[in-house]
Amino acid sequence: MNAQDIVKLKDQALAEADLSASLHDLEVVRIKYLGRKGLLPAIMEGLKDVPPAERPGIGKCANELKQALGARLDEIKARLQQAARSASRQLFDVTLPGAWRFRGARHPVSQVIEEAIAIFARMGFTVADGPDVETEWHNFDALNTPADHPSRDTQDTFWLGPGKLLRTQTSPVQIRVMEGRKPPVRIIAPGRCYRRDTTDATHSANFHQIEGLYVDRKVSMADLKGDITFFAHRMMGSDVKVRFRPHFFPFTEPSVEYDFSCHVCGGSGCRVCKNSGWIEISGAGMVNPKVFSKVGYDPDTCAGYAFGMGVERIAMIKYGIEDIRMLYDNDVRFLSQFG
Amino acid sequence: MNVPLSWLKEYVDVDVAPRELASLLTFSGTEVEGIRTFGGDFPGITVGEVLAVDRHPNADRLTVCRVSDGTDTLTVVCGAPNVAPGIRVPLAKAGAILPNGTKIKKAKVRGVESSGMLCAADELGLSDDHSGLLILPPDTRAGTPFSEIAGPPETVFELEVTPNRPDCLSIIGIAREVAALLGKPLRVPSVELHEGSGEVGKYVRVEIADPAGCPRYIARVIEGVSVSPSPAWMQRRLSAAGVRPINNLVDITNYVMLECGQPLHAFDYELLKDGQIVVRRARLGETMNTLDGAARELRPDMLMIADSSRPVAVAGVMGGAGSEIREVTRTVLLESACFKPADVRQTSKRLGLSTESSYRFERGVDVENVDWASRRAAGLMAELAGGGIARGGIDCYPIPHDRKCVELRLDRARELLGIQVSAERVQEIFLSLGFVLKSCTDDRITVEVPAFRVDIDQEADLIEEIARIHGLDKIPAPAPVARLIPDADDRNTRAALYCRDTLTGLGLTETLNYSFLSEKLLNLVGYGLPSERLFLPNPISAEHTVMRDSLLPQMIETLGKNLARQARQVALFEMGRVFRRAGENDYAEEDRVCVGLLGPVGHDGARHNGEITEAQMFQWIKGILEALCEACHVPRQVAGGMSFADILLEPLENSCFAEGRGVSVRVGGEACGVMGLISDRLREEWRMTDPVAVLELCMAPLIRQVLDVPASKPVCNYPMVDRDVAMVVDDAITHESVLKVIRSKAPAELCAIRLFDLYRGGNLGQGRKSMAYSLTYRSMGRTLRDEEVNEMHDTLKALLRQTLGAEIREG
Repeated sequence: MNAQDIVKLKDQALAEADLSASLHDLEVVRIKYLGRKGLLPAIMEGLKDVPPAERPGIGKCANELKQALGARLDEIKARLQQAARSASRQLFDVTLPGAWRFRGARHPVSQVIEEAIAIFARMGFTVADGPDVETEWHNFDALNTPADHPSRDTQDTFWLGPGKLLRTQTSPVQIRVMEGRKPPVRIIAPGRCYRRDTTDATHSANFHQIEGLYVDRKVSMADLKGDITFFAHRMMGSDVKVRFRPHFFPFTEPSVEYDFSCHVCGGSGCRVCKNSGWIEISGAGMVNPKVFSKVGYDPDTCAGYAFGMGVERIAMIKYGIEDIRMLYDNDVRFLSQFG
Repeated sequence: MNVPLSWLKEYVDVDVAPRELASLLTFSGTEVEGIRTFGGDFPGITVGEVLAVDRHPNADRLTVCRVSDGTDTLTVVCGAPNVAPGIRVPLAKAGAILPNGTKIKKAKVRGVESSGMLCAADELGLSDDHSGLLILPPDTRAGTPFSEIAGPPETVFELEVTPNRPDCLSIIGIAREVAALLGKPLRVPSVELHEGSGEVGKYVRVEIADPAGCPRYIARVIEGVSVSPSPAWMQRRLSAAGVRPINNLVDITNYVMLECGQPLHAFDYELLKDGQIVVRRARLGETMNTLDGAARELRPDMLMIADSSRPVAVAGVMGGAGSEIREVTRTVLLESACFKPADVRQTSKRLGLSTESSYRFERGVDVENVDWASRRAAGLMAELAGGGIARGGIDCYPIPHDRKCVELRLDRARELLGIQVSAERVQEIFLSLGFVLKSCTDDRITVEVPAFRVDIDQEADLIEEIARIHGLDKIPAPAPVARLIPDADDRNTRAALYCRDTLTGLGLTETLNYSFLSEKLLNLVGYGLPSERLFLPNPISAEHTVMRDSLLPQMIETLGKNLARQARQVALFEMGRVFRRAGENDYAEEDRVCVGLLGPVGHDGARHNGEITEAQMFQWIKGILEALCEACHVPRQVAGGMSFADILLEPLENSCFAEGRGVSVRVGGEACGVMGLISDRLREEWRMTDPVAVLELCMAPLIRQVLDVPASKPVCNYPMVDRDVAMVVDDAITHESVLKVIRSKAPAELCAIRLFDLYRGGNLGQGRKSMAYSLTYRSMGRTLRDEEVNEMHDTLKALLRQTLGAEIREG
């Protein structure tokens, strides 16, 4: 084969490549000319039989064939691939549903408790726990509740036996903590409470509270106001306002109730806040010195504040839940909204 | 407590708008729950004179009345029982608007056209009385606009008084608060009496047989009274305050009670035997008819007012019908007394009888004001019922009240409140609230506490007075300053968070059930020991009678409820406490976590259409168990180059689980809980067709090492080599027993065992199955050679053949 033949062969190869309609045809052309047993390797193989003087010419032509065909094949391959991808583009449905979905949901009551723990942790509060079955001492006596106070009635409280009851509040955890350690104390105690309330849209015989207690040498009402306000801003949003009203609880003195400005109307009045602009949250106050005396703290050198808040109430406000019973109905259509 | 503003103004000047006054009261501790208007303009309502009353032709209970409105005569259909010719009543003519917004129109009532309506007191918003028409005095002229009779609209504050402040259950008590808040003087009416010549002692003798129950009793006698309706101004005030007028004598006792907080009682003197008053406990078997018409059985611990022979009133709660004021009453014995709060509360509760009187006595009345109230009422009776007051009062006051003195350290007050308040301001506050300043130095003030402030006996109580009168809004709310207290053991919290995060991350939704449930549900699920069940002695309903001893019953019920609501995939968990009886009046509680699965919920569940096999469901819940244990860092075991959570499942027979589908779970060698597929019986109860899996674990073993994140091990930098082993074994050979055999001789190079195929049937024959495992080998120090791996693998294969009789399939 002389150089002339090779040039012809090149034209023929390029023409065949141009005629390829698929990647497969193209591969056939590649194998025919450039494959291990193809025409070009055969020419190179035959080079050793060519007179030495002609070798460079033929070699050059063969190389040109290889380069030109290789480049043409790559070019056509790219074109064919692009066309194939474009063709299948419409058939690839990116809107099919995702199949890697494991989305559970924390109960709204748990979410509020976890959030509160996190917020108070930033203020140095740790979590304390106490039993649901409490003693009368921890639930009432040590909290300075008068012996004939109505809240002790079997009407309101689940008594289990003499001096034993289901706690009506998380406040007994305060007592347990103070009995167990010297000040300073800075705890919050989320937990379940029980009252013999007839269940309706806002009452539940089981409910949760978060108790807070801070005792040190110098703790003031200003600290209480500041800390509750910080909590309100983190929990409900930084534009929420907090107001404090004097109130009465046996275990705090002075006692206050605190309200958050209505998150729905921003304080201008709506159905949620019954047009008052405010939503009552819970009670708080400075620990009554009589409580300090009962747990063996020196009421003259100790000062502290305590607060309690209803978890369901906050959850209802925060998530716009209108009926407390939804929280204990365990309907997955409701619960899965909190994932 | 309802406080009409005009009445309040009798004792204190109010120069702020009602809204502002309400805010001042609310922010000083007496919450104003509402401000309402009593009365109004009564547009279209005039006085009507009933001329004639005829029976309605088509209705037995209705009458057809001819009513004069001063100019015309109208026909009005009326349903009131007390309608009669000649009476004057409020007449709402067509076009009138009632205070509740109702517009009166001409209408046919059972075929008779009615041009208006005759009104009862409640329809005019004057009281809740709907017993009959509001009958006006006979000299009222027909046609007079009703607004002239009712007087101008009255602003009424509805107050919530906290239980520690009985002094605020009176208009004067509220006036005192207002005086302190506005810096105005308080005016208390004088109670000088014009007494007659007859000595009270000639009429009545008083004996307190139980001084502990009755610290003070004052009796006065008013002679020659005539019983009639009380004057309009008094009726109006009582109505505005929410008390129904009855007659002048009863109204006066109520009026004075509202005015100063001291409940009073008027007896018909003639009906008291021997002019004798004895304050004593009831005798065994005694009974009495109270004013409300009920026959009461008395108990020996109830304090009574008795005459010489029988009880005539339940002390502090209610008078007896046998000595009540009648129309013919001429002589009144007026009781003003103080009773022990706890006694009144107990008696009131035992009788199921709560009154304005008991409400105040339960909270504590002012023992020093008993005489003022007696004089005030006696004076009004003389004035309004035409009576003459016998000279003197019998005042039994065995142990006079000893006023408490309390010292206040000003620095302590400032420190506790976080504000600087001056000594002068503090003194001013206490004086305005009726305290007496006993001594004042630069840093200490001692006050004498007035008897009406039953709530004050220590320094902190005085500090509260400063806070609430000075104003809580003057206390700043600085950003938190946290002095950290390094004592936390927050394993419980952390474990709860880990569990919750893990379970929600696995796609489970958290539920929350009551801590008590019905015995029926507990029996149905049949889990736990019946002897240790903790029943509530006073449950609220049959649905909630026993404390849960496991989270499983409610979990299964919740799955069932959701299935009934057409939920198809339900994966739930609950974290909660369970309870049991541990001994006589001794109870144990434990935190647990529970999981329940229903429907195609697992990793490969999403695309699941057909039947769910039991094995599949069990593997899903087992996966959750393993993930949960690993998240809580439970103890691990090591075999060869492998490390795995130490979880052991042992067969458990419990009626809650399907036979052979229930296991007990040991974690780190410790009993931790149960897991399995629920019994057919339970599935049928909730119409569940597919297998349902539940898991319950105690938190304690999970918590134990929750903070102990295991130390890391170096990862291998050399290639890993997989070798498979496929074998046919007896069907009874479990995966666990295969693992055990391999682990028992696992070389350090073996780092993973994976079951990738499990097959029964075909040509394997009955009672045989094929299991295929992939074993992964690697060395931490070098690249393994093929021959080495083959040798290790062959050893293990031989071991399987030997110990399990496995027929290894080669090739």
